[in-house]
Amino acid sequence: MPALVELVGATHQYGERVAIDDVHLALRPGELAFLVGPSGAGKTTLLKLINREVRPTSGEVWIDGLPAHALRPSRIAELRRRVGVVYQDYKLLPRLTALENVAFGLQVADLGVADAEAHDRALDALEAVGLGDRAGSFPAELSGGQQQRVAIARAVVAQPPVLVADEPTGNLDLETAWQVMKLMEQISRFGTTVLIATHNLDIVRRMQRRVLTLVEGRLVRDQPAGRVGRLAWASS
Amino acid sequence: MGIVVRAPFPRRGRLLNVVRNTFRHLFLGAARNWMRNLGATAPALGSMTLLLLLSGLVGLTAYAVQSLAAAQAGEAAVLHVYLRDDAKPDDVTALRARLAGDHRVASVSLTSKADALKRAQHRPGMADLAGAVEDNPFPASLDVRVRSVQDVGPLADAVDSSPPVDPILPTSYNPGANDRIQKALLIAGITGGAFLLLLGFVAVTVTANSIRAAIHARQNEVAIMQLVGAPRWMVRGPFLVEGAMTGGIAGLAAGLVTLLAGVAVVAAGRSSFAQIAPGVGFGVCLVAAAVVVLAGLVLGSVASLLSVHRQLET
Repeated sequence: MPALVELVGATHQYGERVAIDDVHLALRPGELAFLVGPSGAGKTTLLKLINREVRPTSGEVWIDGLPAHALRPSRIAELRRRVGVVYQDYKLLPRLTALENVAFGLQVADLGVADAEAHDRALDALEAVGLGDRAGSFPAELSGGQQQRVAIARAVVAQPPVLVADEPTGNLDLETAWQVMKLMEQISRFGTTVLIATHNLDIVRRMQRRVLTLVEGRLVRDQPAGRVGRLAWASS
Repeated sequence: MGIVVRAPFPRRGRLLNVVRNTFRHLFLGAARNWMRNLGATAPALGSMTLLLLLSGLVGLTAYAVQSLAAAQAGEAAVLHVYLRDDAKPDDVTALRARLAGDHRVASVSLTSKADALKRAQHRPGMADLAGAVEDNPFPASLDVRVRSVQDVGPLADAVDSSPPVDPILPTSYNPGANDRIQKALLIAGITGGAFLLLLGFVAVTVTANSIRAAIHARQNEVAIMQLVGAPRWMVRGPFLVEGAMTGGIAGLAAGLVTLLAGVAVVAAGRSSFAQIAPGVGFGVCLVAAAVVVLAGLVLGSVASLLSVHRQLET
């Protein structure tokens, strides 16, 4: 099965500082992987490479057949519609309700979706993340965990082939964090490739999925699913 | 037996959805944001209205000046050879024939004293004057249309000592007058054009700044839209529409005032008006108002296009 996300010798520098250093990586459809490493290891930069928020200084980044490294600015939106992103700070539009935020994610991806259909699908997505009863609430009226779940609903409502999440449990208590992770696991079962950057090693160990370890921008370890034991950088 | 079910038109329905969603994102969204940011937009709206109004009035003036220039140019090619009141008909006929035979002359016509009086009575401001005197003070003339304006002077020199020609005021030729008028009109045109350009620049700058402020205020919103994959037009479009709305509303207000001002001047009195602004009538005022509205739309769109291009390049 061809990889949905593929990085070939991807390198990214912020001025003189190398944030991502010659990373080779392939993620297949339906695969769920964790991206771990110390702060400043380059996890967020790697996710930004996938969503084409930054362009690799050298190397290639392929997303669902699109060359992110060589994409014209006018086609970036097209790539981003294939990548659902969940941010640690949620990035919800404050003037829209939870339902409208999710529906916006859907209609951005496809303008041909009718209002009624967008409403129904957004509500389905919110119910899937356990927030069907808060559809009419504005982000400011929701807790951090609830906002994070709205962000997940928005990221998946258009069923993008790739979902990346940057510290999605960073602001959540352990129980809510676990619920969010189970939700991610369900999403991957439907064929979506999921990559989660996290510091939460308890969850990583419990989930026993593929783990990619970044240290100083280099991919130092790639542990396959079911064989996640000691996480080298964490114990050093 | 079966039931024939009419098939829906999914393509048509989808197209309608695209149109409806596009309209909502572009126009309703822009209108909502414009209303929300009215406080920030008000200075740009006011400045643009004032500038467009000035442009409209300057435009009307320019049109009048251009009409005057055209009339002057047409007049410059006609030499009026004034005839003595006691000129013999044979002399007049001979002079007319001589002029008609000249290769520099396109045509010659005779205006009698009575015709000269009638013509004067139709001139703005002259009706009362022409009627105030008992005798007809206007001389008969041979009106000579010359092929080239440069030949007017030599031709005037050639006829001024002819027997039927009035020795005190032989012709209408005034050396250098036309040049002076044309030069003055050219300077007025250049000054007016420069003024309009300056007004346009100020209008675009003021509106561009207001759009920039709007983008800055909604930076977070714009960033989120870009991150979730909103296409460029969806992010930029509402700002462009907002700029066009600012320009369009300013243009409507300025166009209306231009129209009213123009119509008021026309209504104030055709005779005196024609001298102030020759060629300007209701139709011209209407066109000027429409041009002002259009200019507002274009300036507003261009201004927002500039700011959006600078602020939102990914």
